[in-house]
Amino acid sequence: MSLEVSENQLDAIIRAAIEKHGDQRDALIPILGEINQALGYIPGEALGKIRRCINTPEEGLFLADSHLYSIASFYHMYSLKPVGRHIVRYCESAPCHVVGGRQVIQRLHDFLGLAPGETSADGRWTLFQTSCLGICSVGPVIVVDDDIYGHVTPQRVSFILAKYR
Amino acid sequence: MISLTINGQTVEAPENYTVLQAAEKLGITIPTLCYHKNLSPFGGCRLCVVEVQGARLPMTSCVLPVSPGLVVQTESPAVIQYRRAILRILLTNYYDAGYKRTNGKFDLDEDNELMHWARVYEVDSRKFMAKKPRFPIDSDPNPFVWVDMNKCIQCTRCVRACAEVQGRFVWSQSYRGYKARIVAGADTTMLQARCESCGACVAYCPTGALDNKMSVGAGRADRLIRTTCTYCGVGCQLVLNVKDDVPGGRVIRVTSNTDESVASVNGLHLCVKGRYGYEFIHSSQRVTRPRVREYLLDGTPRPKERGRWVEVDWDTALNAAAQGLLRARNQHGGQAIGVLASGKNTNEENYLLNKLARQALGTNHIDCCSHIYHAPLTEGLNEALGIPAMSNSFDDIASRANSLLVIGSNLTEQHPVFGAHIRQAVLRRKIKMIVANPDFTNIAEYAALPLYHRPNTETALINGLMHIILERGWEDQTCIAKHPNGFAEFRAVVAKYTPQKVAKITGLSVEDLYQVAEILATNRPTAVLWSVGLADPSTGRGNVQSLANLQLLLGNLDVPGGGVNPLGGQNNIQGACDMGCLPELLPGYRRVADEAARAQFERAWGTTIPAETGLPAAQMLSAAGQGRIKALYLYGEDILNTSTLGAQLRRDLQACEFVVLQEILPSEATRYADVLLPGVGFAEKSGTYTSAERRIQMIHQAIEPIGEARPDWRIIADVARRILTGEGRSIRETDYSAWDYETPEQIFHEIAALTPIYAGVSYERLERGERLQWPVDTAEHPGTPLLHCGYFSEGQARWTPVEQKPLDIESSKPQELTLV
Ligand code: SF4
Ligand code: SF4
Ligand code: FES
Ligand code: FES
Repeated sequence: MSLEVSENQLDAIIRAAIEKHGDQRDALIPILGEINQALGYIPGEALGKIRRCINTPEEGLFLADSHLYSIASFYHMYSLKPVGRHIVRYCESAPCHVVGGRQVIQRLHDFLGLAPGETSADGRWTLFQTSCLGICSVGPVIVVDDDIYGHVTPQRVSFILAKYR
Repeated sequence: MISLTINGQTVEAPENYTVLQAAEKLGITIPTLCYHKNLSPFGGCRLCVVEVQGARLPMTSCVLPVSPGLVVQTESPAVIQYRRAILRILLTNYYDAGYKRTNGKFDLDEDNELMHWARVYEVDSRKFMAKKPRFPIDSDPNPFVWVDMNKCIQCTRCVRACAEVQGRFVWSQSYRGYKARIVAGADTTMLQARCESCGACVAYCPTGALDNKMSVGAGRADRLIRTTCTYCGVGCQLVLNVKDDVPGGRVIRVTSNTDESVASVNGLHLCVKGRYGYEFIHSSQRVTRPRVREYLLDGTPRPKERGRWVEVDWDTALNAAAQGLLRARNQHGGQAIGVLASGKNTNEENYLLNKLARQALGTNHIDCCSHIYHAPLTEGLNEALGIPAMSNSFDDIASRANSLLVIGSNLTEQHPVFGAHIRQAVLRRKIKMIVANPDFTNIAEYAALPLYHRPNTETALINGLMHIILERGWEDQTCIAKHPNGFAEFRAVVAKYTPQKVAKITGLSVEDLYQVAEILATNRPTAVLWSVGLADPSTGRGNVQSLANLQLLLGNLDVPGGGVNPLGGQNNIQGACDMGCLPELLPGYRRVADEAARAQFERAWGTTIPAETGLPAAQMLSAAGQGRIKALYLYGEDILNTSTLGAQLRRDLQACEFVVLQEILPSEATRYADVLLPGVGFAEKSGTYTSAERRIQMIHQAIEPIGEARPDWRIIADVARRILTGEGRSIRETDYSAWDYETPEQIFHEIAALTPIYAGVSYERLERGERLQWPVDTAEHPGTPLLHCGYFSEGQARWTPVEQKPLDIESSKPQELTLV
């Protein structure tokens, strides 16, 4: 995952995503997902580019930046800002919370020195909070990049994160 | 019909009604915030909850469909408790920094809907309101829209208004939970998010989170005066908010008209010009005292540059104007005088200018900007189809056309509110629109196919489309059989315009031409819309005749959703033409050359009218330059800045012996005037305008004339009276020979008496809110939303073969001009 994206790279990602998911409105979520997956975040310019590819007012479909932004900002799985090399997400929902999640979160904040949504100055970490990931039975849950960790304790936090450079 | 019970009363409601609407039918008000009857339902704020028998929880009535046997309580104790709780929650996220001037001093905003309901349900807003802001106050640089998201309650009315009214999709509700907020575009400024500053979101916001920036702190209005917008031919109704803290009052803001008993084209919608373009009313530049040149007072010959201005009293100025005109008449005859009216004047004023010219002065040299850019649009139409105006109505086109051809019109900028209606027609009804214009225009975003043809090749383009229509057998045989006049000649000419040839002339592709022809032929009715983009002096008339041919060929005339629809540039250019401010026409489109028509006005006005047609504006002015016209009376037209012939016109005006100018703001023409008569803006007088769809509407005086300025109808009458009592001038006393009007309404009576298409129109009917589109034959006639072709030509239309003119490179060179 990188902080810088070239114009061409972005165009290529969008083109591939639209080819894969189609150019209708219901494809917006997966298209945004592809971009977020590829870049770790959704750059502002991407919204305008997607809009131009999908707009067909004569079919009664008019897409503006506001539509895309509304979707992109709604889901916790998308980021609208560039992110660090590694993304740490913690679950903030009640089931995780009550089995020790609160302490894990505190430890994460302290260890990384970040509030949710922030990226570390060295570009290594970005911290996000997310809602229930559906695996409450192993809570508290954190996710680093694509790896899921259950039964996390404050003590385990630094060990888990040490694996990511 | 579904029967249900609300507060113990039984009501029958249509199936698609909500409980809220059913309650309204009974006259029961349920409080709402996120609901607005013009917008799609949202069901987010929950203030409209009601108790439904058998339901566990209160239900939101704005989205609850009626169902048989439903028993509803709208004000039960439980519901009231619930509403109070909701209001308290809304208030905890609402912060008011206290910049509204509510009772004369800066304080909390008490006038918005949230505060209203808090008062009604006795929730102490000061107690529950947020104690500190979460967002910057005035957070967007938009010059007209004030944004203070601290007052936002997330009702999303702005989101829906921008999408469903203006069609710009600037706002969205983004993020979620506590962080949820209203965001412009991709969290940019409004303008970057494509805002057009129409103010619709402001008009619909129930809390003042969005407000009118120019008047946030201006306080409450003392008076609300409904009037007609003065900017374009859509003719929107708007409300001038007047404060009486200065003598005569001042306009502090413009708001939407909410009086539904008044027929209006725009509902709550306005555009940036109508809603925010009112500052000129109180401009410090206003001419507020009459002026004459010093030489006129001294009785000395006119110096070359006309000499010094002297401010004088009205009598002196009016006498000087009348004497100058009279002198020209007595020495050189009436036809040595020209009168220039304007499509910005009221009908009453334009009628009087027409009477001034033809009766008091005895000249047919009267015109308005019409001959500079409007006449080609309507004259060609009158010749071909016998109608000099839009055949169909705005709402008819937006709701019934199945396809549109928009040509030579920058629709969303020239006629913005109608442009927004068209956007919605494309989005909601999925109608096909072809936009043909040499340059990109905003409405082309919504086109099924935008065409960028070479400038001035419209005739070839339309001929080419008709060629294809005939080749494919798509023509309407019935219509051709009904109007056979000239068809054979027409067909022969169109036969020459093969798609290949047309592609070469226009620069379009053969495939596009076929596709356009097919879209139009298979999506009838098609409404054709055009504007001044087609009005090139050399090709305008032919372009319009070609469009008339196209509509005859496709059978799109005399049908709802079709028709030929010229959209004039100025708000009342239609009225100016109706009132006979044209060198060849008397009021009501009767020809000067027609003896019977002349005789009628001669009888009415007690004088003789020259039989010879007058000169159109540009020639009138060049005749002044050459000394054939000795005096000019100019009112309402900033001629030097709206014509491409500016430099020549300056010389012409400079050369003219005597120029009377009636104006509200100094214009360049002031330099060339000898007498300056200060008139007033639309807020300072009453009268009528006729919109592009032939709809006659009132303007109402809201404030007193500024300084010594006078209503323009009064000025014209004052000059005319002085001319008629002057030396060497006498007329017979007849029904309408006099100029003793005391109100614009008296002038309108005279118009109605002498102009058959206006015969049934009266202020009384207009004040009642009636929708009156001419022809209105009698006081009972309902007006004519759909004007049939042949109205002015015994029911007959004529096919006019039109050839593409060789391209005149000179005339399409860019010229310096200022747009007003
Ligand atoms: S002013 Fe008009 S265009 Fe701009 S955001 Fe509001 S509704 Fe949309
Ligand atoms: S800005 Fe006004 S209209 Fe828009 S959501 Fe907020 S309160 Fe509602
Ligand atoms: S609550 Fe954390 S995974 Fe469900
Ligand atoms: S008005 Fe019904 S939920 Fe807001």
